[in-house]
Amino acid sequence: MVAWVVQSTGEIQKLVIKEEISVALQTLNFEFQAETPETMTKEWSHLGVTGSGDLEVLMEKKNLGGKVQAKVVTPVKGFDEVWRRMLGKFVNDCQVGDVSIEINDDNATPIVVYMRLRQAWAESSEKEAE
Amino acid sequence: MQKWDELEKSSFLDANARQRAIGMTDKGSFTELLGPRDRFTSPHLPVLGTAVEFDDGMVTGVGRIGKHPVFVISMEGKFIGGAIGEVNGGKMVGTIRLAEKAAARIQKEHPDEYAARRPLVVISFETGGVRLHEANAGLLAHAEVMDAFQDCRHKLPIICVVGSKVGCFGGMGFVAAATDVIIMNEQGRIGLTGPEVIEQEMGKEEFDASNKALVYRTTGAKQKYIMGDCNYLVEDTIGSFYQAIADVADKPMAEIEKLRRIGSVKLVEEQMGLVKLVGDMQPKDAMDLWKYYGNEKPEELPELSTAEFLKVVKCRVRN
Amino acid sequence: MEFKSTRREWNTLQKDTLERKSAADQYVKEGKIVDAKDTVALLETVIKPYDKVNIEGNNQKQADFLAKKLCEVDPSKVHDLHMVQSVLTLPEHLDVFEKGIAKKLDMSFSGPQAGRIAQFLQEKKLELGAIHTYLELYGRYFVDLTPKVALVAATMADRDGNLFTGFSTEDTPVIVEATKFRQGIVVAQVNKIVDKLPRVDIPGDWVDYVIESPKPFYIEPLFTRDPALITDAQILKAMMAIKGIYGEYGVERLNHGIGFDTAAIELLLPTYGEELGLKGKICKHFILNPHPTLIPAIESGWVESVHSFGGELGMEDYVAARSDVFFVGPDGSMRSNRAFSQTAGHYAIDMFIGGTLQIDPYGNSSTATASRVAGFGGAPNMGCDAKGRRHSTAAWLKVGDEYALKDQLYGPVRRGKRLVVQIAETFREKLAPGFVEELDAFALAKNAKLPIEPVMLYGDDLTHIITEEGIAYLHKCGSMEERTAAIRGIAGFTEVGMKADPKETKRLRTAGIIKTPDDLGIDIGRANRSMLAAKNVHELVEWSHGLYNPPAKFRNW
Repeated sequence: MVAWVVQSTGEIQKLVIKEEISVALQTLNFEFQAETPETMTKEWSHLGVTGSGDLEVLMEKKNLGGKVQAKVVTPVKGFDEVWRRMLGKFVNDCQVGDVSIEINDDNATPIVVYMRLRQAWAESSEKEAE
Repeated sequence: MQKWDELEKSSFLDANARQRAIGMTDKGSFTELLGPRDRFTSPHLPVLGTAVEFDDGMVTGVGRIGKHPVFVISMEGKFIGGAIGEVNGGKMVGTIRLAEKAAARIQKEHPDEYAARRPLVVISFETGGVRLHEANAGLLAHAEVMDAFQDCRHKLPIICVVGSKVGCFGGMGFVAAATDVIIMNEQGRIGLTGPEVIEQEMGKEEFDASNKALVYRTTGAKQKYIMGDCNYLVEDTIGSFYQAIADVADKPMAEIEKLRRIGSVKLVEEQMGLVKLVGDMQPKDAMDLWKYYGNEKPEELPELSTAEFLKVVKCRVRN
Repeated sequence: MEFKSTRREWNTLQKDTLERKSAADQYVKEGKIVDAKDTVALLETVIKPYDKVNIEGNNQKQADFLAKKLCEVDPSKVHDLHMVQSVLTLPEHLDVFEKGIAKKLDMSFSGPQAGRIAQFLQEKKLELGAIHTYLELYGRYFVDLTPKVALVAATMADRDGNLFTGFSTEDTPVIVEATKFRQGIVVAQVNKIVDKLPRVDIPGDWVDYVIESPKPFYIEPLFTRDPALITDAQILKAMMAIKGIYGEYGVERLNHGIGFDTAAIELLLPTYGEELGLKGKICKHFILNPHPTLIPAIESGWVESVHSFGGELGMEDYVAARSDVFFVGPDGSMRSNRAFSQTAGHYAIDMFIGGTLQIDPYGNSSTATASRVAGFGGAPNMGCDAKGRRHSTAAWLKVGDEYALKDQLYGPVRRGKRLVVQIAETFREKLAPGFVEELDAFALAKNAKLPIEPVMLYGDDLTHIITEEGIAYLHKCGSMEERTAAIRGIAGFTEVGMKADPKETKRLRTAGIIKTPDDLGIDIGRANRSMLAAKNVHELVEWSHGLYNPPAKFRNW
């Protein structure tokens, strides 16, 4: 990142910070393949709010050769494996394919993640709302 | 997403920003602008380790009520308390400016039909004010919104809607006051300094923030209605808000102007009169004022349903 | 052989009490009334060093004025007291140790003061006797922990010292009975002294002094849960509980632990429970504080009776108006009584269900954390199989019949078993795991030098665990190995759950030892707030026909 620092002399100095600041958000990327995948009916669907203990999910239909791509942006560290398993469980339970999933998370527990994914999936497959 | 007819019947308080935006306009008419798929997230939050949201906590777009285009701004309190930063602040200003342009175009293309086609701006506030992570941009947005309001004056109505969990506080309390019309449900709250901050600064004896009943009768919709700050007090359904907005949409601008609480010398004098009144009577509680305006049993008012309240309440009479 | 009496005097306790009382006569104004300003002097006169003293500290009601005044006595006159009381809630309950007035402690529960107890133990400011359950401590009041002086709280008194404890009776009867009938001294703080009491709850003969406190005693609305804060995940678990346990076993008599999980169950009875056709078949008799979230179930005719440990602020008028359901006196107000309610909860109910912080792979569960000595109050008495029980009910027999170890342990005798159920989310807020390989109770036992790990519910008593992943029917497990596999199978992505063997989990599902929401036929998509009979406190007031009067902190109107 780039920061501008005002010196005591009044001079403005450009500061380039190369290292990622440790508090920064994390981005995790995953890929999954279900056995008999089916894709969604709508082009895209969105559900949820990035509230404390919650998350938002954006699903988009995308030609991925039957695979599912997932991107998670979260402030929580050390849960990469939990995310991998939870998303994998969802893809497997619902046999999801050719979908890109993007999640903005704020400390959601695994069950909240799973429930939101199931809700988003149900919505992405229902007939167009009035 | 729920069906529109179901949305109209459901609770406004429990609704998220998107449900409110859809439900406050005609069935099937709402088009979201800069929605989640556009991924306009805050550039400031990631470096601070704060979660982002694709719409930056604000739903903006345009729908219709009858022939009136309705420019909607709907804040999401669950995302960082609905606080205003650079991106959602920009969305807010951009939407009002869009409404202003639409008004000019309709004026030009349909000069005879302007009243029937006159656009309106509806802002569903759910915010504590400036987002501290990006405070300068947030403050700037507050100023730009006020500026845009002024440019819309006498051309198209700006409607403030408050009925969500967070209420409307901080700098956005000023912004709400500067709109033309305020619509609230019983659960809506408007104020400047939040209850917790007052307690912290002035002590628990002065204001006990954990006493929610006290908080509500100080900042809540019934108090605002008695004082004349709130123009429409409605039931807690999205449909009730829709009805009130539709009512304003058809009113002449001159009549809408009468609903304002600030913005003219006469109104400033009226506000100064209130300051004097409070100075003279030194009320200990909002209920003292309710009694002053003729409510014999002020302690019963918070317990009444909205419909019962509206039947019996006595309000400050505005000249 | 000649029998010789070992002592000449057999009424030393009584004599000692009479001496103390005559020294304190100077402070008595009229009848048994002592002025609030003379409280410290009175306490310095009637309490002697090394006495066992009870400050009535209940789960809800607090003798707060007397607690404060005890902190003001001169430690050179009154010291080394042995405090015997069920709950330590107020700072004053520990200030007496800080000031050197008290030395030893026997207790049941210490919510907000739990961190300070641990600290005082480390600093040797306090000697801890034991952490009891309520019933256990009450039992010891009549054995070896009888108070010499009891400082109790009542709503009203008359000049003769008769007490009205009413809605918030709680521990008062058991404390006063133990103290007075062993020649002790009873001091009561009351909110008001009146000419005529609505009813007499404690006879004046058992009370020595009454003091009108400057402020009414402190009371916390501990059991009120705002429905607005119930989450979809809690609703899912509540649906699983109702269908997979309440309905499955036909549980008619039960206790609900405190918390949002059980509040969700209460609010789903008139909706989801009704839909499943369970009305009249489950939840007929509760041992429970007057939970506001139970109002919709009561109003829609689910509940036949409720006996309460204590009162709950704001529920007075509602309870009084529902005397068919609650235990209400001839004066029209409820009487709670923790000792009787705990007895009922131990022997007369078929199920305990509640939340916890941690469960280990053996099924032991605990709310203890490494740096807090909190205790468990009544939970262990509700959450265990009462071995002295000899009456049977259908639910109790069904669990007994399903018990996999019955042939090994019981022989040919038919026995039932209490349903002991824990509801846990695999991860709580801030992603704290609900399942751990070793309970924090082990670290606490080490830190605080406790002889046994403070476990709330023992694994061998636990029959069911509900998580969002599924229900484990632990009593159906034939070995510790199988039990551990069942627990791992519903522990999600915690360290405990990650070790689950998917093949074994699948086998346990086939065997009916694990049931997932899908196995139970529950649609996860339906688990949302629209299922709740009341979505906020205001709707509870509406259900109660305006009789529930919520405390100010719960009123968002």
